[in-house]
Amino acid sequence: MLRSSVRKHSGSLAASPVIRRLFSGAAVIGLLLIIASLIALSTGPVAITPTDTLSALFEWAGFGDSSASRTQQAVIENIRIPRLLLALGAGAGLGVAGATMQGLFRNPLADPGIIGVSAGGALGAVIAISTGFATTSALFLPAFAFVGAAGATALVFAVGIMAGGRSSMASLLLAGVAISSFLGAITSAVILLTSDLQAQRQMLFWLAGSLEGARWESVRIVLPITLAGLAVVVAFARDLNLLLIGEDEARSLGVRVGAVRALLLAAGALLTGTAVAFIGTVAFVGLIVPHSIRLVIGPDHRALLPLSALGGGLFLLIADTLARNLAEPIEIRVGIITALFGAPFFLFLLIKNRSRADSL
Amino acid sequence: MTVQDSTTTAATATAATRRRGALLEAKRAVVSYGERCVLDGASIGIAPGLITGIVGPNGSGKTTLLRALAGLIRLDNGSVCLDGRSLGDVRSKTRARRIAYMPQSSADHTFTAMELVLMGRYPHLGRFRLEGRSDMAITEAAMRRTGTLQFAGRRMQTLSGGERQRVSLARALAQDADVLLLDEPTTSLDMQHQLLTMATAREEAKGGAAVAMVMHDLSLAAQHCDVLYLLDAGRVVASGGPWEVVTEANLRKVFSVDVAVEPETISGRPSVSLIGVSNGTPGASKSEAVRVHVICGAGSGRDLMHRLRLAGHTVTSCVLGDGDADRETALRLGIPHVASPPFSTVTLEQDTAHRRLVREADVVVVCEMAVGPGNLRNLEAAAEARRLLLIERPDGSVWDFSNGAATKVYAELHHRGQTVSRDAVQSAVETVS
Repeated sequence: MLRSSVRKHSGSLAASPVIRRLFSGAAVIGLLLIIASLIALSTGPVAITPTDTLSALFEWAGFGDSSASRTQQAVIENIRIPRLLLALGAGAGLGVAGATMQGLFRNPLADPGIIGVSAGGALGAVIAISTGFATTSALFLPAFAFVGAAGATALVFAVGIMAGGRSSMASLLLAGVAISSFLGAITSAVILLTSDLQAQRQMLFWLAGSLEGARWESVRIVLPITLAGLAVVVAFARDLNLLLIGEDEARSLGVRVGAVRALLLAAGALLTGTAVAFIGTVAFVGLIVPHSIRLVIGPDHRALLPLSALGGGLFLLIADTLARNLAEPIEIRVGIITALFGAPFFLFLLIKNRSRADSL
Repeated sequence: MTVQDSTTTAATATAATRRRGALLEAKRAVVSYGERCVLDGASIGIAPGLITGIVGPNGSGKTTLLRALAGLIRLDNGSVCLDGRSLGDVRSKTRARRIAYMPQSSADHTFTAMELVLMGRYPHLGRFRLEGRSDMAITEAAMRRTGTLQFAGRRMQTLSGGERQRVSLARALAQDADVLLLDEPTTSLDMQHQLLTMATAREEAKGGAAVAMVMHDLSLAAQHCDVLYLLDAGRVVASGGPWEVVTEANLRKVFSVDVAVEPETISGRPSVSLIGVSNGTPGASKSEAVRVHVICGAGSGRDLMHRLRLAGHTVTSCVLGDGDADRETALRLGIPHVASPPFSTVTLEQDTAHRRLVREADVVVVCEMAVGPGNLRNLEAAAEARRLLLIERPDGSVWDFSNGAATKVYAELHHRGQTVSRDAVQSAVETVS
């Protein structure tokens, strides 16, 4: 037998390939993030040189005087930094939620929206606009969207459990697909029945997703929730690994499968719901970011989850910067950009790695 | 006799189980999936130092029993105890350090073989602790023992079924548990790796582990397990040493087959040969069944009698001396024939009895046996056949030890019958109906 008296010895960090992969991945994405952030902060209707942007950042952080003008300083502090942070937060949330759902459902096509979150959020937002609540306070729209997202998720869970029992992930997945379509139909009906053209336009805008409404208030809500959700999911990264190799294996290796699944689904719903509430429905982030990272570093969730957070943030930031600047002064919806660039990129990865991409 | 000697050994093994006491025990376990009751009060004890085999037909509840022992399913009734403590009261992580479980097959994923085996170490690590050097060393040792180290870096989905099964075993070994539960660990393995897996299980048992495995192959189970449990319809119908469990009566009752159980040539453990299905053979319907008389000797008719019986035909044979290989087979298969003392010449009385069997048969098959004065009458009787098939020696010669008498009889038979090759006998027989 492999009786090991050495079990108590602590391992050296460097020996673990997971840590090496995590750190090298984080270094690469981190570097890209810094570059993308600088570009994002410098571009827009008010042009600012990268040097002025850096100096404005220093002043904002409390170091020295900025070389940027008052207007430039205000644009950076009140518009671009919140928008940057919202892109990073929401993108991270969607990326991590995607990685979690794919692992949980053991299905490469699982998306953060698969458990009904996005469809519910959309219906909530559309109702907020059609009833006029959205115009009374800026926080009503995200609040309605979040309630819709949470309500739809709860419904999917209830139906999934009734249909397949606690252990069937397949019935949960199918319930999610069916309920999403159902809610989507109601959303379309509400939009078509709205006579106010202005409101109808606002609804369609929301559905295409945008970071236009980014303010410090939204950042203060999105960032803490996203960080908390990320912490929970990362703490259960190893359990996700085991669930991926099989339910019986996971259970026999000490995972309390039912409890862990419920917790991770709730965390995924919270992350997605928060993002959807503030930026609308943005497709593809949760699908292509985890897959791209998985193709490079492999399926180990201990590296995959943190890197999906960073990668999701980076992807959404790049998409938003393009959305703002491609057709200036008109802003393209960020959801259109993610789908337009995300889908071909994803197809390219699929073909390039055809032997590995068809499973997790 | 060997059988009795081995029964004594088996009884000793069971006594050993009782003396050591079960480490993991299921008592009157009941499990149903919906309406269907899969386990109907099965009890089993897994003792340290022994390999316990769980055998039985498809759907008899073997895998469910193993999963119940592993604490993977909730029982409707009964209990599973580890060290006398109900498994439900043991923390899942503690349980994972004591009981390792290897399922029959696993999901498709892209972890490498080594990453998978390393997962066996998770129950020994804190939530945020990474695998250390000792875990790496244990993983490497487990992979070396299962012969999987050479593809440590390969992704699981690129491995063959047998290779995956061995990696899966390595994962269970790396868990370093006191109880090892294996679900059909040898099904997709070649002979060499079957042996390696069984040897590894034996090493684990010798090291003090309690090993239990669901086995499909009865002979393999009988050869490698110390204690066997035979399941049928969710109940344990027999348990004990191999000779107590693998008996002709037990297998007829549980599998509805006629089998011969005899000591395996080398190990002396029970080995099972299939003779036929008890309640008619599915392959041949009764209307097609033919009465075939086989004239043979010195083992020339063994495979023919066996094949024709398996196909559902009624088989009879000629005058056969005691100790003749063909007589042994006829006796085991319950084939009517005329008995005679060893190496004696066929008497008139025996010949009369034999000719009656020849006349009653639809077809008579004459094997390419050696013919001497002693069994010449067996050959002559073939002349009374309603339909006659002659099997020829490859060179067309007659194995004649009767100074030409046999050759003369053969020449005559050639006119009445049809010459066939050994492999074509069965289809030739079946064209009769």
